[in-house]
Amino acid sequence: MTLVPTLTTLDALKAGQSATVIHLAPHALGGQDVARRLMELGFVPGERIRMLKRGLPGGPVAVKVGESTFALRKFEAALVSIQPE
Amino acid sequence: MGVMEQQVATRSPLIALLGNPNCGKTALFNRLTGARQKVANYAGVTIERKEGSFTSPSGRALRVLDLPGAYSLSAQTPDEAITRDVVAGLRAGETAPDAIVCVVNATNLRLNLRLVLEIQRLGLPMVLALNMVDVAKKRGIEIDTVRLSQELNMPVVETVAIQAGGEQALLDVLDRMPLEPTAPKPLASIDAVPVEETQREVRRILDATTSYAHDKGNLSEKIDHVILHPALGPILLAALMFIIFQAVFSWAEAPMDFITGTVEGIGQWIGGAMSEGPLRSLIVDGIIAGVGGVLVFLPQILILFFFILILEDVGYLPRAAFLLDRMMGGVGLSGRAFIPLLSSFACAIPGVMAARTIQNPRDRLVTIMIAPLMTCSARLPVYALIIAAFIPDREVGMFNLQGLVLFVLYALGIVSAMLVAWYMKRRSGSGQHPLMLELPAYHWPHLPTLVLGLWERAKIFLMRVGTIILTLMVLVWFLSSFPGAPEGATQPPIYYSVAGMLGRALSVIFEPIGFGWQICIALVPGMAAREVAVGALGTVYALAGSGDEVANTLGPLIAGSWSMATALSLLAWYVYAPQCLSTLSVVRRETGSAKYAWMMAGYMFALAYVASFITYRVALAFGGG
Repeated sequence: MTLVPTLTTLDALKAGQSATVIHLAPHALGGQDVARRLMELGFVPGERIRMLKRGLPGGPVAVKVGESTFALRKFEAALVSIQPE
Repeated sequence: MGVMEQQVATRSPLIALLGNPNCGKTALFNRLTGARQKVANYAGVTIERKEGSFTSPSGRALRVLDLPGAYSLSAQTPDEAITRDVVAGLRAGETAPDAIVCVVNATNLRLNLRLVLEIQRLGLPMVLALNMVDVAKKRGIEIDTVRLSQELNMPVVETVAIQAGGEQALLDVLDRMPLEPTAPKPLASIDAVPVEETQREVRRILDATTSYAHDKGNLSEKIDHVILHPALGPILLAALMFIIFQAVFSWAEAPMDFITGTVEGIGQWIGGAMSEGPLRSLIVDGIIAGVGGVLVFLPQILILFFFILILEDVGYLPRAAFLLDRMMGGVGLSGRAFIPLLSSFACAIPGVMAARTIQNPRDRLVTIMIAPLMTCSARLPVYALIIAAFIPDREVGMFNLQGLVLFVLYALGIVSAMLVAWYMKRRSGSGQHPLMLELPAYHWPHLPTLVLGLWERAKIFLMRVGTIILTLMVLVWFLSSFPGAPEGATQPPIYYSVAGMLGRALSVIFEPIGFGWQICIALVPGMAAREVAVGALGTVYALAGSGDEVANTLGPLIAGSWSMATALSLLAWYVYAPQCLSTLSVVRRETGSAKYAWMMAGYMFALAYVASFITYRVALAFGGG
């Protein structure tokens, strides 16, 4: 029996933990293509990311992708499916 | 010289600086153009358009446009839409640039290069400026520029925008470029390659050209462990705010006294040199006193912006937005609203203008609508007068009662602003907006940029004082001076003027909240700027002298003639009332329609009336009559 690695979404990642992006859920909001923008910022499948800091509960999270750090609101982070390490 | 030749001569080639936010693009623009800049708005929108000019080493005259920072040409913000439309030649009134200088942050090519590949598809002549290359080298990031130039098929130059001469390599390349007008390819061509594929291409180019083997990283992460800490972060932010407030009020005191003194001196000098008459009154009481009353806030505005610009330059402001997003998101505001609201404590005008940094139009509108509820410094003279006259100067526990009342007035403004924002969020019923805020690497503030930024703020403020505010002051003077008092008048002259008639008519409406005709008359000129009300009350009570003198002698006088309930009611009124035409005119300009200025005036008057009514009635019930 093999252990199936658990997929989760970025908003659930613990501070300091790294993960690999698996998939982005399509999400359009008032003419803004949020998923596309996340990909443009570097959140593309296969990319390694790290949770730098979590703010107050329910607040935004700070995520390291490549050389950049981005603050994402919870619902934005939830669009990113990840494979934690 | 023929007409054709003249046109050719006046239209020097236009190059556009384009890049991600935080790539040092504006610093490079300042380095290239120095003070030869024209700052205006793009037609029909309130997005800043910065154009400058410079002469290359070989004597070629060039114009340069600093486009708003963009992550992508598939625009998601009004700023990005401008950038997209200008480079694609789609914006009416703008010619497409003859060449594009793509500015990238050399320490963050992973993010920045994608935009370069995207823009390349438009087929315009391009140069890549590897900016902040000094920081990259210090960190040990090695970039093979020759190889990068081959991979991208465009000239690549290293620049250090914050260093004299750091633009030299770019100038040399621009000198050799042909710069013929080129029509950009249609925008659809940027979507010819999917985002994922472009990102793979970025990685391939990076692997071939850049080595992070000796990258020492930077301190930003370590600093962020403290700054973004869920408990420490907010404490630091609060401490910082406290220091800024202290500075705004204590450092500004001396320059403010100086301005008041100078303005009074000029008024007295002109008053002495001219003969008594309406013209002297217009110049001395209307223009000099009126404009001086607004000009006096320049030191506070500059001190506040000194801090804001430094915090922006070092990269703290996005962190503050991160820390406050949870709290402000609860009432439907973006964390980004923090900066405009902070500015509004000095004056709502720069606050409303700073709301431009909020990308979501609805968030921006809500921020503008609540900005005047932050207690601006113009309310202080009025608060100070009434508190000194009515609130006993004694200790309550460890606090001073007068200070406590002042604190309550500030808190009331903030709480009300949050409630209004929350109500507007419920009304519009829209869901969450993306934040996607980059937290750039920290770096030391750059003094010349700071000075230039402060100079721009001062210029904007002085332009307003010289135009709109000046006009309003003259108008208010006319209303308060004409018609003059009749023969054998028993009341002060203002009683008989248009302002006086308005005030007396208004007293019917304001009687239920405890305002007599004297207060109502003062409210009319107070419309131009709140603090003018103090002077107007002085006029009503037939006192002469400048603001401070009036305030000192007026205190005991109103303490004798108003009830406690009236005083408290007037304080409540000043927390809410839109007593500032300048703010309303800025709101009209920034929102592009008079509708929101009227809405603001309407809701604030309504709140003011209700708050004063409740305050007055409750105070009466407790024996404050």
